[in-house]
Amino acid sequence: MILSFHGKKALVLGGSCDLALTLAAAMMEAGIYPLLTFRNEEGREKINARLLPLGGSYGVCYLDFGDRDSLTSLLAQGYGEIDFVVDFAQGDFEGYVAAADEARVYQYFNANVSFRAELLKKIARIMVKRKKGRFVFISSVAAGRTNPGQGFYAAAKLASEALYRNLGLELGRKGITTVTLRPGYIRAGRGKAYLEAHGEEALRLVPTGRFLSESEVAETILFLLSESAAGFNATELTMDGGLTACK
Amino acid sequence: MDVLAEITIILADILDIEGREITPETYLIRELGAESIDLLELSVAINARFQIEVNDDELFLRTLRLHLRTAEQEGKDAVGYLAEKYPALTVARVAEILADMGGGPVLRVKDVVSYIDWYCQR
Repeated sequence: MILSFHGKKALVLGGSCDLALTLAAAMMEAGIYPLLTFRNEEGREKINARLLPLGGSYGVCYLDFGDRDSLTSLLAQGYGEIDFVVDFAQGDFEGYVAAADEARVYQYFNANVSFRAELLKKIARIMVKRKKGRFVFISSVAAGRTNPGQGFYAAAKLASEALYRNLGLELGRKGITTVTLRPGYIRAGRGKAYLEAHGEEALRLVPTGRFLSESEVAETILFLLSESAAGFNATELTMDGGLTACK
Repeated sequence: MDVLAEITIILADILDIEGREITPETYLIRELGAESIDLLELSVAINARFQIEVNDDELFLRTLRLHLRTAEQEGKDAVGYLAEKYPALTVARVAEILADMGGGPVLRVKDVVSYIDWYCQR
């Protein structure tokens, strides 16, 4: 297996979430320089609190999916010159389709779909120049199987998956590939609170009888960034212990 | 080096057609066989070489037929309407394009050169 990453740079979008931080730590150990984006001071502090003690090399940069100027500024600083993009960014929006506030709906899709399309375009064009680049989009099993109230979250994830899929099929010949990972239940991030409240009930639905750990998802993402996984392009992989295969 | 010479080198590299003669009159799609992905690469290369943020639709005349339909629907003179939409092109070139549309994609190397010249002089 080719798992050599020395000297590579990765842009980690939504870099202050638990899973992104676990991934960043694994990246640093593997020789990748992660550049993590944060959208507020709390996010920046969380990143530094977790990564500074590790003593490795990493960077942080402000990026808010609701603020197009923040993308311009990120690219102007040369942060687009990267080998990998791992995208965890996703705003929360729980609400019934028939009850949602319209203004919030427009704002949500602008940030989570349109902004992402602009970001993909701009970073992909930088990668076209170098004829190399790998994107991993972190989606969710909820993109395919939703619960009531998750319609907007799922719609944004599905739309984003489609953008990544097309990017990979359009630019594969130029050395730029994409893959989407759909993890199932993880005891981290927004899943943590849900599993604390509904853990036993959720566990019954998972054939392997356990939830995913942050580290195994991070290791899978590292594998997806490796040369050995380059054949996975313009596709979605589900990693859920069999959850969504069940009736 | 002038813009035409630069574009010729970029095209030869992208389309892997070293040694083939490229003139201002050469058609990118009809003659050189440029595909969408090649045009994307060309736009990225122009972006980098000339430090300009090009609009791919305008640069490659992608919206030509759309504009033409609008001019027709609104009863406007096609040449005048297109010249307004593509300020990088001369009125004479727009008329030439309109007469040439039956033969396939009209984009020529000189249109790309005009776009860059126009953009840089803005």
